[in-house]
Amino acid sequence: MTRPAEPPIRHRPGSGSRERQLADVFVTLADTLVADFDVLEVLDVLVRACVDTLGSTAAGLLLGDQRGQLRVMAASAESSRLLEVFQIQNDEGPCLDCFRTRQPVSVPDLSIAVGQWPRFVPVAVASGFRSVHALPMRLRDTTIGALNLFHGDEVALTVEELRVAQALADTATIGILQQRALQSSNLMAEQLQTALNSRVAIEQAKGVLAATGGLDMEQAFQALRRHARDHNLRLSDLAREIATGTTDVAAILGPRA
Amino acid sequence: MMTAAGHRGIVCCTDRVAAAIEELQFTLGEGPCIDAFHRGPVLLDDLAGSGHLGRDPWPMFTAAAFASGARALFAFPLQVGAVRIGAFDLYRDQPGPLDETQLGIALTFADELAVTILRDRSPGVSIPWPADGSSSHAEVHQASGILSVQLGMSVEDAFVWLRARAFASGRPVVDLAHEVVNSTDPNGIERRGTDDETR
Repeated sequence: MTRPAEPPIRHRPGSGSRERQLADVFVTLADTLVADFDVLEVLDVLVRACVDTLGSTAAGLLLGDQRGQLRVMAASAESSRLLEVFQIQNDEGPCLDCFRTRQPVSVPDLSIAVGQWPRFVPVAVASGFRSVHALPMRLRDTTIGALNLFHGDEVALTVEELRVAQALADTATIGILQQRALQSSNLMAEQLQTALNSRVAIEQAKGVLAATGGLDMEQAFQALRRHARDHNLRLSDLAREIATGTTDVAAILGPRA
Repeated sequence: MMTAAGHRGIVCCTDRVAAAIEELQFTLGEGPCIDAFHRGPVLLDDLAGSGHLGRDPWPMFTAAAFASGARALFAFPLQVGAVRIGAFDLYRDQPGPLDETQLGIALTFADELAVTILRDRSPGVSIPWPADGSSSHAEVHQASGILSVQLGMSVEDAFVWLRARAFASGRPVVDLAHEVVNSTDPNGIERRGTDDETR
């Protein structure tokens, strides 16, 4: 099912055109892509930008781990439930198909795709999603992962919107591989593995913060990110310190609002 | 070769060249293994070539490793997120890259080696368990973080504890981790009903 000619209103009135929003996104990214930047911070900015500029309900980014698995690297919200919707696509789903075929996958109506993905569709629908798009993260002959966009209603992204989404996916790819890596598969593997391991450290840190502060995983991630920003720390470095017990967790949790 | 915070030592080597490579890094305090420990994998197809696109990270090491017979070197960190255990090196007597399959095998081996070392040095865990690939699941690491707080141990010991517990009770690690995460989630109780339907 495709969207009617008149698209649903996705942008707040007076919030400016998509062009302006996109300009803001790329300015933010330029700020993030400084020397020695943290890949996971860039990816975090990107998935949130997808939600803002494309009106997606949720966005996530999965990378192939070079061991035959797809792994979640960033999500617009960090609840366990949402991460599971992304992660289950390691077994089946539009992200896996997109990753394997290197082509975008658009599913405007998930309910009729249950035969295609009998495990993925019920999980996605139970989480409130009605449509999904997946875009490949490509570099020449290699596909490193896929960007995943979910909508809570039946949405078919237009050609123009898909182009925007692909531009964001391409930016993420460059962010992960960094410019010097563009010429070497070795450097690509080195960057990918480092980013994957940093993501594991973030999960460990979320667990520590959640258990210490009585938070859910989304709140734990927010606390982590807020503290990193407020103190000008790299997200990955702070996560490592939390997980190894070399920083004061109470200070990160702070006085509860 | 294994590197723990501050202490370096060579655990095992397969032959004289490998031993020489490790000794060199130990002596010089520089080399791919040491870098891999601190960052990520270091893959050098050709020790004779410029190697790393103009990077000249270990001038003394590279020349000496070449002289001892190595032509390509691949160093992989042994780590589980924030937990750094050491690194292992592979060398070749001919230059050339690892292909995709070889890289995948090396990475998987590094993962399982890291888990095995953690298990063997963890006090009180005597049951060996088979490789299960569960380290690629986010909830396993979230649960390790949660358990480290609840049980008052390090994240690495909690990681081992979780796997030992799962193995002893005959349950997949991933399922047990899911339960740990949901039991601490403030919204977990109301969510559990719908979770069951969808799993």
